[in-house]
Amino acid sequence: MAITILRRLLAAVGVLLLISLFTFMIFFWLSPDPAVQICGKTCTPERIDQIRSQLGLDLPFWQQYWQFLSGIFTGRTYGEGAAAITCAAPCLGFSFQTNESVTDMIVARMPVSVTLAVGAAALWLLAGIGGGLLSAVKQGTGWDRAVMTTALAGISLPNYFVALLLQYLLVVQLRWLPFPQSVTFTEDPLLWFQSYLMPWLVLAFGYAAMYSRIVRTNVIDTLGQNFMRTAKAKGLDAPVVLRRHALRPSLTPVVTLFGMDFAGLLGGALITETVFGLNGVGKLTADSIAKNDQPVIMGVTLLAAALVVVANILVDVTYTYLDPRVRVKSA
Amino acid sequence: MSTVPSELAVETEPKGVLPTGSAPTPARRVISTLRKSPAVVFSVCVIVFIVLLAVFAPVLAAITGWDPYEFDPTAIDSDLGGVPIGPFGGISSSHWLGVEPGNGRDILVRIAYGARVSLMIAVSATLITTTFGVVLGMVAGFFGGLADQIISRVMDFLMAFPSLIFMIALLSALPAGNRPALLVLVLSIFGWPYTARVIRGQAMSLRNSEFVEAARASGARPVKIVFREVLPNLRGTIIVLATLAVPSYIGTEAGLSFLGVGVMPPTPSWGQMISTAVGWYAVDPMFFLIPGTFLFLTVFAFTVLGDNLRRVLDAGDAA
Amino acid sequence: MSLTAPRTISIPVAGSTLLEVDHLTVTFPTSSGPVEVVKDASFRVESGDTLGIVGESGSGKSMTSLAIMGLLPRGGTATGSIRLNGHELLGRSDREMRRVRGDKVAMVFQDPLSSLNPYYTVGLQIEEAYRAHNGGSRRDARRVTIEALERVRIADASRRVDHYPHQFSGGMRQRIMIAMALCLEPDLLIADEPTTALDVTVQAQILELLADLQRETGTGMIFITHDLAVVSQVAQDVLVMKDGEQVEAGTAEQVFSNPRAAYTRALLAALPRIDDPFDELKGTSR
Repeated sequence: MAITILRRLLAAVGVLLLISLFTFMIFFWLSPDPAVQICGKTCTPERIDQIRSQLGLDLPFWQQYWQFLSGIFTGRTYGEGAAAITCAAPCLGFSFQTNESVTDMIVARMPVSVTLAVGAAALWLLAGIGGGLLSAVKQGTGWDRAVMTTALAGISLPNYFVALLLQYLLVVQLRWLPFPQSVTFTEDPLLWFQSYLMPWLVLAFGYAAMYSRIVRTNVIDTLGQNFMRTAKAKGLDAPVVLRRHALRPSLTPVVTLFGMDFAGLLGGALITETVFGLNGVGKLTADSIAKNDQPVIMGVTLLAAALVVVANILVDVTYTYLDPRVRVKSA
Repeated sequence: MSTVPSELAVETEPKGVLPTGSAPTPARRVISTLRKSPAVVFSVCVIVFIVLLAVFAPVLAAITGWDPYEFDPTAIDSDLGGVPIGPFGGISSSHWLGVEPGNGRDILVRIAYGARVSLMIAVSATLITTTFGVVLGMVAGFFGGLADQIISRVMDFLMAFPSLIFMIALLSALPAGNRPALLVLVLSIFGWPYTARVIRGQAMSLRNSEFVEAARASGARPVKIVFREVLPNLRGTIIVLATLAVPSYIGTEAGLSFLGVGVMPPTPSWGQMISTAVGWYAVDPMFFLIPGTFLFLTVFAFTVLGDNLRRVLDAGDAA
Repeated sequence: MSLTAPRTISIPVAGSTLLEVDHLTVTFPTSSGPVEVVKDASFRVESGDTLGIVGESGSGKSMTSLAIMGLLPRGGTATGSIRLNGHELLGRSDREMRRVRGDKVAMVFQDPLSSLNPYYTVGLQIEEAYRAHNGGSRRDARRVTIEALERVRIADASRRVDHYPHQFSGGMRQRIMIAMALCLEPDLLIADEPTTALDVTVQAQILELLADLQRETGTGMIFITHDLAVVSQVAQDVLVMKDGEQVEAGTAEQVFSNPRAAYTRALLAALPRIDDPFDELKGTSR
């Protein structure tokens, strides 16, 4: 077991290195010169050279990559002497636009993204699993059709469209909700809740739709298994049969899916945060794209990759504990 | 936003089909089954309508007299910041679906040209990912060994990627150039493993089937077995996967364009129109409702069709 | 070939009559009208005796047993009469049938691997059957479970009780299914092809185990199989089914030495018999 985890960790480090290398290569070769961008409109060739040497942009590719990589673990120093700027580990460089540390920028916006992600995840698990179960147990009835049609719409509706639709209906037309504002929970709990309600709903809808489809298929699959017949033949109550024997086999695969989807939320939340003006990591990414702020885009990409890779390992380990066929070797 | 397809797992357990008196050709049977479903008929109508809209976009421009890039200052109220004149976003006999606020471009014509871009990108990406996915999936599944090792590793790597963020990073770094072609490229790079994974699984189970054994025993060359025996058996799966890949690419392309890294202005695109509409949604809701509805209907129609094809072909293939 | 058989066949009474099935018909609706998968079946099982039901797949033999359990697949309806110890089972509510299942009638299925839930230990799966009918503490249930596992001759039962189904071999799993059925001391045990998925040697062990347990407990048994050879080893009475119809019924001796239906004769003819080379001749000449 320990060896398996160790091997997975090594593989994960390899994947992360590859991703960082690819990302670095993309910006190194494909993107316009950052020095020109930093320098601004009134710029002399001398100034550009100066910026280049300060940021280490005049070095060959591998050295730049190495500096970037080692900066993440040990921090790095830009420039020399009195003009030197230090960047503590984990250093992802400085924004071309605001000169802030990318690490600080991301950390500062994490709470908003985490709030959004956790609320949405709770909603979509509830709706997805509930809907899927209802649909499977009432298979072929009006309930089933209603849930599945909603789910089909849910996976077909782009979430920015849903966001605009909700905002237009609930805020502009019906005035049930105020315009979303960036307040913290301690400042004004009600306004905080009202501001996050739509983003949670929008982000959760698509996932809930997908999950209800998957849960329905899994439950119907499980209900057809022979051990369900055994459970009934034992004379167990129908609810016990469903709860104990059908639920666990049907929902265990959902754990894997959920781990990966939750870790991948940085991508999913990007649009939701942008549309609702939530100042999270997703909006930071979208803003940085608009301004071509490479260090920030790169930092977020690496963070997103790291989250997915770590989640992958966690999910595998969790799954081992949930499925006895994997946990216990057969005799 | 729907990114690359994540739930394309096609169930392949054979299901018994009651023998019918006469045996119509599978294609005919599939079509006759599908024709009985109102949802499928509706979906096909929507798809046909969108395709016609895309194909005849220039004709539409000629009929309405509006070019997709042509401003119409008479259709907007410059005193009110450029809000369309008239009800429902400026719907009139001259602008059938109204005009864009701010510049007065005709929405219907831009929708039609947007459908062109959207379908072209999605269909091209589907063709590419299906070809690569099927070939690589069959090679990995049928031959196994080192080829399988390499292909599977690459697939794992690409699928472990936070693909949306990475697509954004990649597209934001790439120079303007030919955006639609770049989109097809990026969608294809991250899309093919989802097809290949399913095909690989099926090819692996077909490898040990009796008719493949028989072909092998009769001395057929492996390449011939793959194309003569394995590929025809994957036909149903490939059709389903491709049908479901189209809406996912349409959705992803629209999302990327919405974020400003996809199709660049002035080329019209649905996602980009909705993105522009964000600033106008309170005063001119039609501007996001119209492209949003077109986008939703298109994705919905392809998904319904794909779902139903999967249902019918699964049952049919086992017979 | 005529498939008509006497509608009701009375099987000689040995002990007290445990199960009486009369004119049982099981119907399923299909797109082309209702289909009768069991047509007018009538038979009896005496306590302590074994009735073998023989037929190929689709002959209706499994549907007959599921009808007795009240576990017909969705859409299926049973008409006629099924009396257990004189009490009618057909038409009872699901609640009442739950008390019968496991407690009065227990069942052992064909595929022991898929018949056990892979997510729970075998102990838990036997315990829950016991507690569903007898209540009591987990400790009691566990004791009964270990005893049941010992009775089906699983070595080291007190340790094995906490193992998962995949940790057992096929024959062992079937022993566990039998333990599960027997821990409630049912009046009737239905074994639906219990040895079909097993190796021949393991098959013999399971048959022997079932016979021993039946001697100890005096349980009545319905043994369903497609294999006449197996029936000849375990059953006192035999029922042959084909296409949902009961084509032959009688004591094992009658059916094997003097089959009435052509179908039974064909089945017997297909059996390899080295003990009596003339049996086959007798069978076909009649």
